[in-house]
Amino acid sequence: MNRWKKKQAATVKPFKRPGLAGDTFGGRAGYFFARAVTNIRQNVFVNVVTIATITLALLIVALFLLVFVNLEGVAENWSERVQVTVYFDKELSAGEQSGLRDKILALPGASRVTYVSREEALKRFKERLRGQETILEGVGPEVLPTSFEITLKRASRDTQKVEGFVSALKRIPGIDEVQYGEEWVRRFNSFLNFMRLLGALLGGFLVVAVVFIVSNTIKLTIYARRDELDVMSLVGATRFFIKAPFLIEGLIQGVAGSLIAIVLLFGLYEGFLQNAGSFLTFNPVASGLGFLPLEYIFGLLLAGALLGFIGSLTSLKRFINV
Amino acid sequence: MIQLHNVSMAYQQDASALNNINLNIGKGEFVFLTGPSGAGKTTLLRLLYGALEPTRGQVLIDGQNVSRLPASQIPYLRRTIGVVFQDFKLLQNRTVFENVAITLEVLGWGRADIGKKTMHILKQMGIESKFNLLTQRLSGGEQQRVALARALVNDPKILLADEPTGNLDDANKNQIFNIFKEANVRGTTVVVATHDRRLIEQSHKRLVTLNKGEIVEQVEKETGSNGQAL
Repeated sequence: MNRWKKKQAATVKPFKRPGLAGDTFGGRAGYFFARAVTNIRQNVFVNVVTIATITLALLIVALFLLVFVNLEGVAENWSERVQVTVYFDKELSAGEQSGLRDKILALPGASRVTYVSREEALKRFKERLRGQETILEGVGPEVLPTSFEITLKRASRDTQKVEGFVSALKRIPGIDEVQYGEEWVRRFNSFLNFMRLLGALLGGFLVVAVVFIVSNTIKLTIYARRDELDVMSLVGATRFFIKAPFLIEGLIQGVAGSLIAIVLLFGLYEGFLQNAGSFLTFNPVASGLGFLPLEYIFGLLLAGALLGFIGSLTSLKRFINV
Repeated sequence: MIQLHNVSMAYQQDASALNNINLNIGKGEFVFLTGPSGAGKTTLLRLLYGALEPTRGQVLIDGQNVSRLPASQIPYLRRTIGVVFQDFKLLQNRTVFENVAITLEVLGWGRADIGKKTMHILKQMGIESKFNLLTQRLSGGEQQRVALARALVNDPKILLADEPTGNLDDANKNQIFNIFKEANVRGTTVVVATHDRRLIEQSHKRLVTLNKGEIVEQVEKETGSNGQAL
């Protein structure tokens, strides 16, 4: 009755323990990686769900980042208008000009100084009154003041630094009259701070939501495969041995998810640029709209990898009971 | 090989699952563990492969105190013990070959050696022709033989079985039981928990009967003498 039994009698012999292929680190790493890839192939559905979740979650974060980066860019452009003007009631000689210019540029925060002569001032005035030039009939350049227009460095454009700069400016001998549109600077800066706070709050909220969703998805997918963990520990696998393929799998899922998210975002962005002209009043390309800078893209990839890795790590901790 | 000294086990605050158990199983012995459901058979087996820690007493496997073993050492203990269950605990989405090879992969064997040794044990179990099938497509008897192959492929010192024939018909029961005997002949200490009276009576092996967490009867191999002193 026992076909197998007869065979067994013939084949039973002591089996010499062979050498270990996994004795070297490279052998082990290769095994873990192969195992991870096999796991992905054998659990396609679970992996698709995980990668899709990571993709969607990171796409939302990336979209938010893209909007935020571009708003920051717009704000930067606006802040160019934070300008300090020093007025004089006489034309300055070339020597006076360069002397004062050097003193102003020596102040911390000054980035560019432009001299506006009476002729230049009149020309600008006329431009502003285009179509109503008659008002200026009989007005010569001598009624207008000359001035230095000072542009500030980016970091020095907030309200406090501008005020500090102006008071330092006033201490330079020969400078009396300084204007810098205090009210506008104050409003602009408080608006900017509000935007940044809102961005940080929203961004933080998004990140928490993403981490929560992704880590729970991974937890569920590992829960679905806890048999595998049980069997591995039953046959004497160490904790590390059980974990390693899952961690590599998590890493692959994370990187794949973030890559797809970035590609999708780029697609959306390009699509927006192509079609924006028809419903926006401005030309998006000319207005300095840009895609995410390279370091943000790398950041997203890293975030995806970390999400997959740490998500798997914390979930495994719960289900391995070696 | 297996020694239990005054072992008690309680799950939380409930009545104890095992109460003051003293048991000595020698190298190469074949022991049946029997008793009604809830008598503590499964708990006893779980203590032996380090899945549970006794609340009191000592469990010695091959001279090693399992209850004192740090968690990081448990895997190394399990590499010397094969375990099979009533529900087989096979990975359903993997092939027969993969299910058995996992034991050797854990040990870090090379691919070629794993292939040879795995096919060798599958041949012994009479299921070598099914090596590439997913285990979910096998019959119960075949699945249990895969589980046995997984447990025995590493030539363990001890084979533990928890109701291994509970889900099988008579023909399969006999085949599975013969595999236990073969393993025992080759020197593996075998402990089988079962309440299959017929299997026990046919086999004339040492019998330990548990009830309500205590050893109530011990019958020595092929003789009828009761109450072995430990």
